[in-house]
Amino acid sequence: MLMSGCVALAGCTTGSRNAVPAPPPLRHVFIIMLENQDYKDTFGSSTQDPYLMNTLRPMGAQLTQYFATGHQSLDNYIALISGQPSSLQTQGDCERYKDFQMSGLTADGLAIGDGCVYPASVKTLANQLESAGYSWKGYMEDMGNDPSRESESCGHPALGDLDRTQNPQAPSAAVPMGDQYAARHDPFVYFHAIIDTPRCATQVVRLEQLSTDLAQSASTPNLAFITPNLCHDGHDGDGSGAPGRGCVNGEPGGLRSADEFLKTWVPRILASPAYQRDGLLIITFDESNAASVTTGKDSVSGMKMTRAVFAGAACCNQQNGPNVTRPAIIDFPVDEQEFYRLELTGIGGDRIGAVLLSPFIKSGTVSEVPYNHYALLRSVEDLFGLGHLGYAAQPGLAPFGPDVYTRH
Amino acid sequence: MRSVAVGAALLCCAAAAGAGGPSVAALGRELFFDASLSASGRLACATCHDPHHAYGPPDGRAVQPGGAALRTMGLRAVPALRYTLRHTPVWSKQYQASAVERVTETDSVPVGGFDWDGRFNSLHDQAASPLLSPLEMGNASIEAVVSTLRRAPYAGQFRELFGARIFADAPAAFGAALQALERFELDDASFHPYSSRYDAFLDGKAMLSAAEVRGLGLFNDPLKGNCSACHTSTPGADGSHPLFTDFGFAALGVPRNGEIPANKDPEYFDMGLCGPLRTDLAARRHWCGLFKTPTLRNAATRRVFFHNGRVHTLRDAVRFYAERDRQPERYDDLPVALRGNVDHIDVPLNRRPGDAPTLSAADIDDLVAFIATLSDADVEQ
Repeated sequence: MLMSGCVALAGCTTGSRNAVPAPPPLRHVFIIMLENQDYKDTFGSSTQDPYLMNTLRPMGAQLTQYFATGHQSLDNYIALISGQPSSLQTQGDCERYKDFQMSGLTADGLAIGDGCVYPASVKTLANQLESAGYSWKGYMEDMGNDPSRESESCGHPALGDLDRTQNPQAPSAAVPMGDQYAARHDPFVYFHAIIDTPRCATQVVRLEQLSTDLAQSASTPNLAFITPNLCHDGHDGDGSGAPGRGCVNGEPGGLRSADEFLKTWVPRILASPAYQRDGLLIITFDESNAASVTTGKDSVSGMKMTRAVFAGAACCNQQNGPNVTRPAIIDFPVDEQEFYRLELTGIGGDRIGAVLLSPFIKSGTVSEVPYNHYALLRSVEDLFGLGHLGYAAQPGLAPFGPDVYTRH
Repeated sequence: MRSVAVGAALLCCAAAAGAGGPSVAALGRELFFDASLSASGRLACATCHDPHHAYGPPDGRAVQPGGAALRTMGLRAVPALRYTLRHTPVWSKQYQASAVERVTETDSVPVGGFDWDGRFNSLHDQAASPLLSPLEMGNASIEAVVSTLRRAPYAGQFRELFGARIFADAPAAFGAALQALERFELDDASFHPYSSRYDAFLDGKAMLSAAEVRGLGLFNDPLKGNCSACHTSTPGADGSHPLFTDFGFAALGVPRNGEIPANKDPEYFDMGLCGPLRTDLAARRHWCGLFKTPTLRNAATRRVFFHNGRVHTLRDAVRFYAERDRQPERYDDLPVALRGNVDHIDVPLNRRPGDAPTLSAADIDDLVAFIATLSDADVEQ
């Protein structure tokens, strides 16, 4: 095992590993991140994802107790590649792209402070892989469709600027396909350890590049992190096709468009030499969208209040971290008579589930072992013999084991 | 799966002209400046969209005259056409799958489309409106327009580009004319000269004065002018110069303008997205009063501001943002029941009665000085 990747990395520890069976010799990990769907919908009531449910799920492992680690979005992505927990800004999706002001590190390597873009001392899975001699890439759909909105590689706002990618851009004469790239779904651009290096431009690329890279095992990165655009990841649209409820380019969105995305890209991945030799494909979601939304009158102010409550269910003894507390209440003014209230009850991102495919996973596998994004990070780190970043090092956190790797 | 892409349909006829032949855009130029295409014979597109005024209004009238006798007045101030046309997205409103995000993402507003209410998704659709509106060019029908086209000096170019029998099919000929107008507006360099001092400043070829620099700071300061929140001011990721609009919609609460004849009817309200000109969103009452954000390029050369032309100087327009809620006509261009739609969240419109304005008189001077740097070199002051 290569353990050297941990030596120089802040927030990285090797001392907390449990005695778990050695993982299979997987060397190509593909992660497809979808958006904002609850387990009960994706794997239960929805009829919009037949490809995921009826084709992909039976081919591999369904993780029924896989939980997101935060609300509302960005904090999940950051957790997944760095082990860093929510900050006040990242749990709010960082509408302004500004530096994380770090006042220190906790004993377990968690950055203390607030902001969006972590200082260079805070490392990611990408840094770990590079240090250990492995390769990685982020494949971002639509990135650079409008080159004035963001670069076609390593696309992100200028530091301090409003993030104009928060909202999808509909087609125009200048950008006929529109641009639904969202920086907040591209975790790599929230770390100076990545954006300050030339590698960001070569490794965080447009999705189209994946087709080329899949052609040969040697050109396929060891980690391929795939983010569909705001429509194809299910973030936008409800999939019904009803007027006013679709994506800004007219596609239906929701699980329906996410399923179409999977139908396009998963066969390409599964047919690639890298996957067939030693690949693992992980399909999951950033967070659940299950919440109660009610409207009433605020007893304190007397104003009209729309109240949205996330349960924030978590697994795996997930901790708050140093930068946020739970329960949390965040108010958004609407006008002089009305405001919106977001309540985050627990620290988790609720139950989302995941589907894993690999030559090392038997078809029809179902695991009810609890996992979350930190556990996923830890699992990938273990595959490559890396140390554990941030909360991936949490004592007792279980990586994927024999319950998942059923053909090993 | 239906999806929207802009532009594909526009290519159909460009290829029809052989090398060295007339271009669709050149034909569009002829149409744009042809006053015979109006019922009065005196109103071209360029009459209201004057190229000497950044393709905006030539004077300070809140609305322009039109119709067969040029005696009917329009309903809205004429928007300038420079810079924005190629980049205007089709009208959309993001619909997040998550109900919570639909509630909490308060920055997600309707965006795009042409005209103040975004009701046209393409320039060829938009171009039909003034040609046929009784308040504007006042043609009685498509056939009337085509009859004029058939006799126009450029009719030969028309036939060369679209076929010898194009005028035998009035809808097709009308559609071809709209396409030609669209191509001219999208392709002609006069719509995007980037010749302002601010452009030169961004290229490192000019300096801004101290007042202009202060104004730029106020423009971008989220706690002061906060103008750049909607009027984007920073270069694009590719170095492209900013358009000074994000194409989003806002309800500013601009007072009613008695200069518009239609406003003599106390029951008439121009409510932008929810009508009456736009008809498909009439039920979205929370969007009543929202109008599209215009570019501020060449704003200093205009003499008519906001959708209803209520304001006639740039200084007064800036002052409106700073002092809106001290004015006695509180949102009186909206029905009383809909005045809650007016923006009270975004700086500097978030002041409460008794609050000091976010901008001082000196600040307003500096902002005006900065915005004046956005005027193109060729635009008449």
